[in-house]
Amino acid sequence: MSVAIDRRALEPWQDPSAVPFVRIERVTKQFGDIYAVDDVSLSIFQGEFFSLLGSSGCGKSTLLRLLAGLDYPSSGRIFIDGADVTDIPPYQRPVNMMFQSYALFPHMTVEQNVEFGLEQERMPRRERAERVGEMLDLLKIGELRKRKPDQLSGGQRQRAALARSLAKHPKLLLLDEPLGALDKRLRENTQFELVNLQERIGTTFVTVTHDQEEAMTMSSRIAVMEAGRILQIDTPTGIYEFPSNRFVAEFIGSVNLFEGRVMQRDGDLVTVETRLGRPIQMRCPLPLALGKPVTIAIRPEKIRLSAAYRDDAVNQIRGTVEDIAYLGDVSIYHVRISPDQVTRMTLANIQPQTEQELTWGQEVAMEWSPTSGVVLTD
Amino acid sequence: MPPTARPRQPGRRLSRLVNIGIPYLWLGIFFLLPFVIVLQISLAEPRLAQPPYTALAEWLGDGVLSIRLDLQNYLLVLSDDIYLAAFMNSLKVAFFCTLLCLLIGYPMAYAIATAPSRWRIPLLMLIILPFWTSFLIRVYAWIGILQTSGFLNNFLLWLGLIDEPLAILYTQTAIYIGIVYSYLPFMILPLYANLTRLDRTLLEAAADLGCRPFRAFVRVTLPLSRAGIIAGCMLVFIPVVGEFVIPDLLGGPDTLMVGRMLWTEFFSNVDWPLASALAILLLGLLVIPFVLMQRWQLAAEDPDR
Amino acid sequence: MRRGRWPLFTILAFGYAFLYIPVALLVIFSFNESRLVTVWSGFSTKWYAELFRNQQLLEAAWLSIRIAAVNATFAVLLGTLSANALVRHRRFRGRGGFELLLTAPLVMPDVIIGLSLLLLFVALQQGIGWPDGRGFTTITIAHITFSLAYVAVVVRARLSQLDRSLEEAAMDLGARPLTVYLRITLPLIAPALLSGWLLAFTLSLDDLVVASFVSGPGSTTLPMVIYASVRMGVSPQINALATLIMLFVALAVVVASLALRSQAKDRGHRTNARR
Repeated sequence: MSVAIDRRALEPWQDPSAVPFVRIERVTKQFGDIYAVDDVSLSIFQGEFFSLLGSSGCGKSTLLRLLAGLDYPSSGRIFIDGADVTDIPPYQRPVNMMFQSYALFPHMTVEQNVEFGLEQERMPRRERAERVGEMLDLLKIGELRKRKPDQLSGGQRQRAALARSLAKHPKLLLLDEPLGALDKRLRENTQFELVNLQERIGTTFVTVTHDQEEAMTMSSRIAVMEAGRILQIDTPTGIYEFPSNRFVAEFIGSVNLFEGRVMQRDGDLVTVETRLGRPIQMRCPLPLALGKPVTIAIRPEKIRLSAAYRDDAVNQIRGTVEDIAYLGDVSIYHVRISPDQVTRMTLANIQPQTEQELTWGQEVAMEWSPTSGVVLTD
Repeated sequence: MPPTARPRQPGRRLSRLVNIGIPYLWLGIFFLLPFVIVLQISLAEPRLAQPPYTALAEWLGDGVLSIRLDLQNYLLVLSDDIYLAAFMNSLKVAFFCTLLCLLIGYPMAYAIATAPSRWRIPLLMLIILPFWTSFLIRVYAWIGILQTSGFLNNFLLWLGLIDEPLAILYTQTAIYIGIVYSYLPFMILPLYANLTRLDRTLLEAAADLGCRPFRAFVRVTLPLSRAGIIAGCMLVFIPVVGEFVIPDLLGGPDTLMVGRMLWTEFFSNVDWPLASALAILLLGLLVIPFVLMQRWQLAAEDPDR
Repeated sequence: MRRGRWPLFTILAFGYAFLYIPVALLVIFSFNESRLVTVWSGFSTKWYAELFRNQQLLEAAWLSIRIAAVNATFAVLLGTLSANALVRHRRFRGRGGFELLLTAPLVMPDVIIGLSLLLLFVALQQGIGWPDGRGFTTITIAHITFSLAYVAVVVRARLSQLDRSLEEAAMDLGARPLTVYLRITLPLIAPALLSGWLLAFTLSLDDLVVASFVSGPGSTTLPMVIYASVRMGVSPQINALATLIMLFVALAVVVASLALRSQAKDRGHRTNARR
């Protein structure tokens, strides 16, 4: 029982009585004939680290700009902390944004950049200086205070931009591809720093990213977007393990898809008939009509591979090893299971590669349990 | 669901009004309106008074408004060979000067655009610098060079290439030299701007595909610099057609050009209506190249359109 | 490959010679002892001394400088507004006409601008009694009308290069649009405003034709004096004046480019912007 309460505090979206901090209600943004954001509704809770994930042009940045007030929705309403901000201009919203290009003012020092927002608030000078100091310390860039943006490295600029957008203590911080301009190594370190920072100050973060790994590492929840619509909102685990549709399954990580029809139902266990030999049994909580076409999605690492074909296994498909890509920690196997389908699976290299029994051209059997994948209906 | 109205932005409305309204009003009053007046006066008759033209509309009493449109000025210009000759000569001079500027300016712009990058800005500055010094004085400098006892003749005599001084000043040749000299930067700048934007890997690709340098230039560089060529040519051609200072200072009394003719009619003959008619005809002549330039400029700015 | 560049360099060398020899001769012969401007007869600065005793010329120069300064200031103001209009208000009714009006003065022959403005001033004086006579005001108005188009070109180029997210960031941090313009946009386009000002200043200082049309008795500008004198024939005094003008301009260009260089340090936004 106590576990359940804990879960509610950490995952307010599970609690029907929780009041969302940001509420986007049926928001649409049209540019000419193009629907950049198409009838999106979304709730974000206090203290969340929420990510909008999608490929470029999916509408995620537009949605962020709508939250910031840099664009106005064609229809729908936006509420932040209970107040309707739909028509409020950006300079009156309790929201700040970190821009993808950082948008540091090139003619001002780091200090002046951080102070800029506070000046607009008419904060007294003494308090302003104090707050600037706090922010520079928080981001550990105190010694750079007198520098101008072009005298900073990429990572330092990112920190300066972050300090500037946090200086006003916004209720909501928006981050547009916060790590996009950093090189790979720096990006990985910064991901954790950003999460720690967010936990420390407790501000609600909404980020936009096209990098699924980044979204998985940092977020409390992720909204996957495509063509202006949200396809799924869930925790990183939920998005990865239980994608709700084909697009999300394929967009996040890699996946093997088997098409078939529902043949039999037994409680939450369905049996699906495919063209690949024996029927496949999967756990599925959805009520599915018999004969309904479905797709079974199974992640490559959930599949076991063996040289021996066993008659008693539940889900088993035969195939031939066609390709092996050795990546060090894991190897990727491509197994042809029919003339027009190749399955992909990942095996951890527990033993040195040389001692492994599987090789090119070998007949193998693939197995997985009914709980290691999902049944998709679209 | 009905779309929510775009939030009112009084600031933006004001910004629109100030940024568009004020310059528009200024140009409307001091650039557009004057042409209407020129057109109106070109239809009036000259008279010896201040101002030296008749009114187009007059109240004759009893509520009768008399409007007299006099096409005589246009008829005069179109029937008198001297005006026609001036127009033809202006077009001819402008055409050949534009061609000369292009022939000299293109290689120069190309050389600057392909020079090592640290040389480009200084070389370009050297093109622009004379443009910052007085136009009148640069034309004046040529008088000293071209006159009978000038540097050029002295130099050629000293070389022994000629036995007696050539008469260059106060001829059409002097006008060509002066115009090409003064307008060369206007040709080079747009060409340079265009050529520096040219992707050099295109030429490498052409070479890789077996195209010799000259052919690559003709097939790749030249077509891609078309916008620059047109901009440069129009920036030279249009103002040269109406040029006054250079033909007046370097040309002889028999050199006829429209700009000079207009000046003479206005200042010496005090025939304002005739000068206005000349201005309107000149304007009509320049509208076509101007519209062409405008269209090309828009296309170059926004290739997606 | 390198051999292929020789013809280009030769053309470049001849081109620069063509551009600079006349100017160089002008300067050299301003120091000539003799009245002749083509035969060297010894070094002298007497023409400069004579220049500074020429009251009429000095007065004209002072008038021209005043007109040029006022013109440049107003042209920068109006040109910047026009650039704002074109870059910031992408769609408005009459945009095509607006662009036409802004481009036309760049190529319009001087005689047409001069004549048409004079006729406007005459008509206005008849109609509403303003301007009362012609002189400083009418010349300045005429100069602003064509200078503003040049300023608009310079400022527009700079403004459209500006990273929009800088202004959005300022707005996001609570700055109202006017504050954004004054604190972010203006400082960042300042170099363009400076070069626009200098350009407008020299255009005005250089104009003979338009000023001749719209000036009145008692308002003779420097180019008008030079023109009258040149028509009489060459004179070393004009050479001396030309040398001084060029010195002045070169100085202004150097000062401006130094100012721009120190500004360029702040131009991080070119590398800062990734979009």
